[in-house]
Amino acid sequence: MKFGKRLKQQIEESLPAWRDKFLSYKELKKLVRQISSAESCVEYGKADAEAEFVHLLNNEIDKFNVFFMEQEEDFIIRHKELQQRIKRVIETWGPNGTKPSEAEYKDEMAKIRKDIVNFHGEMVLLVNYSNINYTGSLAKILKKYDKRTGGLLRLPFIQKVLQQPFFITDLVSKLVKECENTIDEVFPVEQEDEEEIVKEQREAITIAGKGIFRNTVAALLSMQEIRRGSSTYGHFSLPPMDLPDSDLIHSFQLNSPIPIV
Amino acid sequence: MEARPALSIQRSGASQLSSLGVSGGLSSSLSIPSTHLEGTYQKLPDIQQVPSERELTTRPQAHATRVPTNNGVVGHIFSSSSGFSSDLHYSSVLPNEKHSRNSPFISQSLADTASLPLSQSSSSLLPQPTIPSCCNKENSGSWCTDPDFLDFPEWADQLITCDDALTSNWNELLVDNVTNLEPKMACQVAKPCTTMPAQNQQLPSPSVESLRVVNPSSSANNAPAKPRMRWTPELHEAFVEAVNQLGGSERATPKGVLKLMKVDGLTIYHVKSHLQKYRTARYRPESSEGSSEKKLTSMEEISSLDLKTGMGITEALRLQMEVQKRLHEQLEIQRNLQLRIEEQGRYLQMMFEKQKSGLDKLKVSSSNPENPAATSDATKEAPTKSELESSQRDHLDSGTGTVNNAKSMLERSSREMGGEDMATEAGDLEKTKARVSETSPEQAAKRSRIEE
Repeated sequence: MKFGKRLKQQIEESLPAWRDKFLSYKELKKLVRQISSAESCVEYGKADAEAEFVHLLNNEIDKFNVFFMEQEEDFIIRHKELQQRIKRVIETWGPNGTKPSEAEYKDEMAKIRKDIVNFHGEMVLLVNYSNINYTGSLAKILKKYDKRTGGLLRLPFIQKVLQQPFFITDLVSKLVKECENTIDEVFPVEQEDEEEIVKEQREAITIAGKGIFRNTVAALLSMQEIRRGSSTYGHFSLPPMDLPDSDLIHSFQLNSPIPIV
Repeated sequence: MEARPALSIQRSGASQLSSLGVSGGLSSSLSIPSTHLEGTYQKLPDIQQVPSERELTTRPQAHATRVPTNNGVVGHIFSSSSGFSSDLHYSSVLPNEKHSRNSPFISQSLADTASLPLSQSSSSLLPQPTIPSCCNKENSGSWCTDPDFLDFPEWADQLITCDDALTSNWNELLVDNVTNLEPKMACQVAKPCTTMPAQNQQLPSPSVESLRVVNPSSSANNAPAKPRMRWTPELHEAFVEAVNQLGGSERATPKGVLKLMKVDGLTIYHVKSHLQKYRTARYRPESSEGSSEKKLTSMEEISSLDLKTGMGITEALRLQMEVQKRLHEQLEIQRNLQLRIEEQGRYLQMMFEKQKSGLDKLKVSSSNPENPAATSDATKEAPTKSELESSQRDHLDSGTGTVNNAKSMLERSSREMGGEDMATEAGDLEKTKARVSETSPEQAAKRSRIEE
């Protein structure tokens, strides 16, 4: 499948609010085509075209940065809030709390669990967003540019990109890990018989809707696809992906994104 | 230096401080005209002056009261010498980026197709290094009084040598720190590299862990009033403390919080928007977390969970977690790969440069007597080179098969420049890739944990 199409698909499968935050790959591709065909055109001039291209790319990068940092900020706040919430629930309704109540405790904990897992998912999706924009789009479009126009834009530009805030996902990754730790604490210990039931039912799970879970699975599959094999392996290409549980993930049948009535 | 008088001019009010982001605006668009370059560098001393006055006399430990997680903070900051190499790296890159955003420059340099990209970056760096080192000499002026300043002399030395052997400096950097660079990047939890100038200034003042004004932004064209701020957990904690001191999120005002936080570079706009987010997050914890699409998501989540009946919600959640974890793992692996690939690519470019300049020198100096010697050397190298290449081509396996184009590229240019080292480098790169793609997830996870 062509990259542009795959990217489009991935964008569609992402959270609705994020859809316009990805790289405008198509437009940039058009521009590249324009540039390469306008090479002979004296008026426009290669330098101008390149400047335009770089300008657009910079705008896109700004867009990523702004979006990414907003999300990151949100995550920081929510992360803290979740932890506070857990503390409060334990302190109020927990066994040693001020008003111990098992029912309430269970209830609240269930809600917290759901929220935390979704929160975790969102953060991972943000990291994925960053990745898509880098690998998928920027690296690709730069490669295309260089190929089409014989330019040497890619290397220095990519260096610059590597240092952009949106690419440096360390903080979000750290939050993700902290989240995982919290989740381990918040989830009850898995029991053996539960495990078996779970394994059976994993076979045919249909994931409906545009939920975070769905996005995550879609993201994983896309990633695998992108790295599967390319006709143009180069010095800077990523090797194929090693995805354990690949069968499991493939077994999730993804519905088409039709809203649930 | 002429930046000195600029200090007094620049120090006028918060808006100036907020525009300090300009200096960090590596990602800013071309809209920053070249005149801004000077303005930027003039502003740098301004920023560093302010923190240095306040924080100069304080030691990290002294801030325990102010910032509860200070120790953690210091860890985040580039307080180790290895951090400096990254700083140096970024500082070398900065002028390059400034230039690359200057379109006339690009067209000039790229018009010269014979030169490799890094040649133009190194040449652009050479005339420039005076600027960062100048600015940092400014630093040294103000910070000399702080004996505890973390590894300052080493850092200053490194920067000053920028003037001289820039390329060799890079080599050292890359060679010595090629493994360090990644972990350092991972360590930069709260330190986006685009704040390079800001970083340099923050080093002596660890309590200003929060000063991370990044990217004057998409609004680089507009008012400097809204530079983008990259929040960190520590900064947020300070924020929460301040808010609590003022009686809660409802009662606290941006101005009050700003005053209490006492963080340089933080403007009231930052605080305002952050406060808004904070309030939203607190009072809508159920429908959750900010965005409107979340409602849609949670609704659909429930229905999707219903479909998994028999599994129980907890189990469904566990499954979701697993998949999410898996994705995250893969993303980390991929990211590390990307970084290494780029690093290797850069390193190889450096090698090309070295070889090229070496060969040029050889050509120039070998006017007469050495001529035969030079040519014989070249011919000697060529056959051995092609031997190496063919052997590598042989054991290039189709599975990874990633370096085919690279090989041909390398071969071509290596033949021109007669560099043996590059062939070995290419071999290394290939081995690295093979190794990496075979790495099991556990190892990768371990690696990423270590890098943290």
